[in-house]
Amino acid sequence: MALFKTAKKPARGPAGRWDVVIAEDMCKACGFCLGVCPTDVFAWRTAPNRLGWFPMYTARESECVGCMLCYQICPDFCIDVTPKALPAGAEGAR
Amino acid sequence: MNKLAKKYLRPSQIPTKACHGCGIGMIENWILQAIDELGLAQDDVIFGTGIGCVGRQTYATWGGDNFGATHGRALAVATGLKLAQPDKKYVVVVGDGDAASIGTSHLVHAARRNLGVTVICEDNMGYESTGGQFSPTTPAGYVTNSSPYGMVEPPFDPCDVVKAAGATFVAETTATQWHQTVKVVKQALQNDGFSFVHVRFPCNENFGAYALGTRDTLKNLEWIYEHTQGRKADGSETDFVWETGVKHDASNSRPEFSRVMREMNARVRAKMAAKANGGTA
Amino acid sequence: MPTLAPEATESLVAPWADWARRYTRGRRLLEAGTYALTEGAIAAGCRVFAGYPITPATDIAEYMSKRLPQVGGYYVQCEDELAGMHACAGASLGGLKAMTATSGPGYTLMHDAYGWAVTNEIPLVVVDAMRVGPISGITGAPGQGEFYVARYCTHGGNFETIVLSPSSVQEAFWLTLDAFNLAERFRTPVTILTDQVVSDMWEDLFIPEDYEALDCVVPRKHNLTMPFYPVGTAELDVAPNVIGHGTGVCVSAYTHTEEGYDIEEMEAQWAQSYRLVNKIRHHRAELTRHETLGLEDAEVVAVAYGANARTVKTGVLEARRRGVRAGFIRPITLWPFLDELYAADRRYVVCELNYDGQLVREVMRAAPDKGKVHFMGKSAELHTVAEVVEGLQGVARDGRVPELPYIWTAIR
Repeated sequence: MALFKTAKKPARGPAGRWDVVIAEDMCKACGFCLGVCPTDVFAWRTAPNRLGWFPMYTARESECVGCMLCYQICPDFCIDVTPKALPAGAEGAR
Repeated sequence: MNKLAKKYLRPSQIPTKACHGCGIGMIENWILQAIDELGLAQDDVIFGTGIGCVGRQTYATWGGDNFGATHGRALAVATGLKLAQPDKKYVVVVGDGDAASIGTSHLVHAARRNLGVTVICEDNMGYESTGGQFSPTTPAGYVTNSSPYGMVEPPFDPCDVVKAAGATFVAETTATQWHQTVKVVKQALQNDGFSFVHVRFPCNENFGAYALGTRDTLKNLEWIYEHTQGRKADGSETDFVWETGVKHDASNSRPEFSRVMREMNARVRAKMAAKANGGTA
Repeated sequence: MPTLAPEATESLVAPWADWARRYTRGRRLLEAGTYALTEGAIAAGCRVFAGYPITPATDIAEYMSKRLPQVGGYYVQCEDELAGMHACAGASLGGLKAMTATSGPGYTLMHDAYGWAVTNEIPLVVVDAMRVGPISGITGAPGQGEFYVARYCTHGGNFETIVLSPSSVQEAFWLTLDAFNLAERFRTPVTILTDQVVSDMWEDLFIPEDYEALDCVVPRKHNLTMPFYPVGTAELDVAPNVIGHGTGVCVSAYTHTEEGYDIEEMEAQWAQSYRLVNKIRHHRAELTRHETLGLEDAEVVAVAYGANARTVKTGVLEARRRGVRAGFIRPITLWPFLDELYAADRRYVVCELNYDGQLVREVMRAAPDKGKVHFMGKSAELHTVAEVVEGLQGVARDGRVPELPYIWTAIR
């Protein structure tokens, strides 16, 4: 089995409950997050950042299943994946 | 910046000088997770680094007190520093050049003394900062900038060296083993003694280009993954496989170096006090 | 017994000229230079010694191994001299005064560590008990071959160094204390160049009884605020940086900013070099230490430092007794070089324990007429009084040092 999944699958189970934030001005366009994401959350920007790289951005946050692989694999501290604050009264809300 | 970077790192030094596709930053992210999960504050930890990619790209990223020694000498500095500041946690991040080549003598003696530091040897299997020459951990036969006909020297594993020298915690992981690395770094930090964590990681720019024939970041990290599993994506065997996991755990079983020194001092001074009070020597 | 002509005066310019008068309660011992160097360090507050045994500095390591635990300090016997000096630098960074001691073959291994200590302004004391070389040379013979090496103790340029040299056991005690003080004030490694003779010989030594009462000792202070490195200034008495107090200080091998992280800009290099050079150059007055004799009427002046200064001085006295208007200069501060001592236009006879000529080149540079600077080089043994007298007489009479066996006079 490969580390990187070229075939992305649609999310099964709870998706879209995570904020996926990329610090695009620090991204060096290694592509690891896009490669390791199982559900195709990420895409490339078409304009470069100030480092000269075309950075990654969160294109489809609703597909995120919270596996945290992107957070673990980013070599430049760019990615934060945190549970969204749920509306009061909703199932699982704190 | 992610939350842990904001908590622990020095903003002016992020983004780091690491190349695109380099594994140093992800390992540092895992080290921060280990530090955070142990409840350590920035002031509780002193970071030390060396020269070369791992040294340079890590140096000054830590927001607290930190030092970058000359090539191979981080552990020599740590030996003196630990005596003066024994209560801090020490994370010494060095490369394969620093640990397994120029600084091996200090590595061996720090392990022998059971100096209370956690050494993270981040190994990209070559001297990549100077362009990609081979190092004592380059796999046998590989072509590099200074082994154009293939590396004829056999490599060695620094884990074996430190274990023989007396290290009390030794573990090995790779850049595709995030959970395992966080776990062993936590164990390493909880050992009041010499801990050695050896993490193999990809160099995209040099090792990738010259030894593996590509600067495709995904292919170079896949190569690490394959040699961690021992199998390629098509199921065939790789030319070699790394033995990962905890290789030796004698955590907290032997007294730590600075503790031994303080205990000796206490004995000497007690004897002097007894003598001064008229007791027999 | 040679007597001083009535008009010749001796002078000693050094802090211990005053200290010896001030601290009079203590013990009088017959001891070796290595003992004095050790006790001087302990008196100054040294609490870490990290080094490697090497003749003739081995006794310092042994004394330290015994004394440091008694005062709550640490003796670390490192795997080599390189590790030893790096460990001292680490200990000093952690807040403890530290010292190492070695001889020439170990000294050359310390260049790397010197660079780190110099660039990061870490206070340290390094004793080099020189012996004849190159390399192992003769294990038990004195030499003075590290005169330039001590000044250029690391690579890369852009720094000044402080180097002192004692010539008696008593002086070794006070000078070591002084070296620690200078290390603290200038935030730099200070080198004590001694040699096999001063290290191993036994002499009358006075040690003050209460080290805590020595108010001449500059205590260790911690710098807890930015700038950690006041680059671009030549300020003296800046407190040393400390790791472990949560200041966020960065310490590295690279050209650095005020905070200490690496920066690859020409302006930063200028500012750092300005500090490392001028913190010493602009405060030369604090570093002047020397001994002189008979300079007010001397026509030919012998110059020597360290152990052979003892026989050279006796030679000068004997020459005066025989009618030569001879004088004597003993630089105690070797670096920064005391140019002003050689400003007078007269003949200088530089007696050194080496054959290639090192101190003599600096005297030639500083003196108004380098043609009047003469060289008497010798190796493996001190200059004899007879050799010095013949040399001074020859220069006074004929303007040159006569042919003497085992004395070199040629520099080129």
